[in-house]
Amino acid sequence: MEDKSKVMTAQEAIRRFVHDGDQLVLGNYTVGTCAELVNEIVRQGRQGFTLYSQSGIFDVDILVAGGCVDRLVTTYVLRAGGKNGGSAVERAIQAGTLQIEDYTNYQYNARLVAGMHGFTLLPVFESTLATDLFRQRGFMGDKKYAVIECPFTGRNIVLVPAVNPDVCVVHVQRADRFGNAQYWGAQGSVAAAALASKRIIVSCEEIVDEAIIRSSPHLTILPAFRVDAVVEIPWGASPSEVLGYYNMDMLMYGLFMAADSTADGLKAWMAEWVYGCPDRKAYIDRYISKFGSRSLDAIKAKPFYSAPANYGSAFTSRWDQDGRERNLGVTMEELESILHERGKFYE
Amino acid sequence: MSKPYTLEELLSIVVAREIRDHENVILGVGIPMTAGALAKALYAPHATLMMESGLIDIKPLLPPNHIADAHACRGFSYATDLFSTFTMTYRGFVDVCFLGVAQVDRFGNLNTTVIGDYNKPTIRLPGSGGAPDFISYAKRTVLTMLGGQFVEKLDYLTSPGHLEGSGSRDRSGLFPKGSGPTLLVSTQGVFGFDPETQEIYLAKLHPGVSVADVQREVPWTLRVAGDLSETPRPTDDEIDFIRRFNPANSVGRALALELSLANLAAKGGLSSL
Repeated sequence: MEDKSKVMTAQEAIRRFVHDGDQLVLGNYTVGTCAELVNEIVRQGRQGFTLYSQSGIFDVDILVAGGCVDRLVTTYVLRAGGKNGGSAVERAIQAGTLQIEDYTNYQYNARLVAGMHGFTLLPVFESTLATDLFRQRGFMGDKKYAVIECPFTGRNIVLVPAVNPDVCVVHVQRADRFGNAQYWGAQGSVAAAALASKRIIVSCEEIVDEAIIRSSPHLTILPAFRVDAVVEIPWGASPSEVLGYYNMDMLMYGLFMAADSTADGLKAWMAEWVYGCPDRKAYIDRYISKFGSRSLDAIKAKPFYSAPANYGSAFTSRWDQDGRERNLGVTMEELESILHERGKFYE
Repeated sequence: MSKPYTLEELLSIVVAREIRDHENVILGVGIPMTAGALAKALYAPHATLMMESGLIDIKPLLPPNHIADAHACRGFSYATDLFSTFTMTYRGFVDVCFLGVAQVDRFGNLNTTVIGDYNKPTIRLPGSGGAPDFISYAKRTVLTMLGGQFVEKLDYLTSPGHLEGSGSRDRSGLFPKGSGPTLLVSTQGVFGFDPETQEIYLAKLHPGVSVADVQREVPWTLRVAGDLSETPRPTDDEIDFIRRFNPANSVGRALALELSLANLAAKGGLSSL
């Protein structure tokens, strides 16, 4: 099969691979979130998601405030402005428009790891039996956990069900045009979230030549054959940070947090920064026209390169510089002549 | 007499002193990040500092904002994932972890999920994160309480402390023997847990705080250590380190915000907001 580029725009990727009613997982964890893919989902008006988020930052609140989410499976949600402030998630739960299911960080991740490996379940830590996470069930009810007797030790084991979300959106540092996606830094549950999913949309700071991927395969967290779309979006995770590219944008983060503490505030913020910007370039242009370019320049990362790993070996061909096979000691011509002499050919 | 210090500095320093050399330490958001850096610099150079995002053996240069902060990614020695960080905790390789408190009961059980009814919350708190997993399987847990409250009954039990007390945690068979909260540091003082009953008691008072002040925040008759003393003064070395490492922590959240906004306005950045 011909190598096929999966490069497309965020608009096309979301249109083709994210559908109403999907189980959608945000692949990133706390850092480098797929901000522009999230914004595009909201702009396209998708609805009815069961959203999986390991730890919500602005990403979850934007999707909830955008009316995209019916159900949320998570371990941690944003609180804007501490005790006095609210959040889109809190307002939606209070209004009865959002159902939530709480897991611990490990349990949530275990559901994805089970899904990633094709299992139907995975054990979690038994101490959860002493908590209200176990006792208080949301929309998953009886299926939130199960308890069985371990056939080997006789002890009680608590299980969580696997999940295979319909689609994962995830931001990484770099990818090639075929979908090999490279990510480094705080690994969190990024690979598991993506690999558990049926479809994967990758956005990246830059699309790089395939040769770069092939000289650093230890950084590749998603293989091309699993990825459906690759979208190059510089600043695609801002205002969250991307290791090696840029820091957290504290100015925009502050504006978002202040806005998110009220419904009207968030509506106005989204009108300007989500609905008001058709793509990331428009977001950056608006940002620079409003605040100048200094605050973005100031958070660009200064390089700190990883030492290259030596992937070298003694030779890369069975044939040495004189054209002789390294073990057999003969040239191709001599080899074929021997095969002929010994009657090894069908002749 | 050491140089003057703030409450926020005192809290970080008290927490830092709980980290011993050669220990494996899980750091949470906020005070523990600063405390971990202080401990590593002054008392525990061989401690392995870890965060649940899979950053192991961090060398803190800047105070991280969260548990996957890019600033924690310079010079760490082992990049693993969240799943493995928790399973290494489950297997008993974590000596001490630090957790923040929203609601705490007399046996150190925690609520960080919800105030009010779970389905109709008065306040929806952030949730569990990794707290239940860590408090269950770390050998020791140190609790930090800034804005939290003591309650007779939690609205929701997120993270198991000493359950009903009097050895019930050990008897449940769900936890490593002897694990659970060992210390709670609040803005008023330092609390321990009774070895027999595991009920929380007041062990130390921060400067200017009385037992009556603390009792007002606790809805049951608070037990007080026979040898109640003032929280030991930080040393100049501790104060110097912490003020240089995380000045925003030293001045406290409100003053930090005030100074930041003034600075932004001075640079002209606010005019366009």
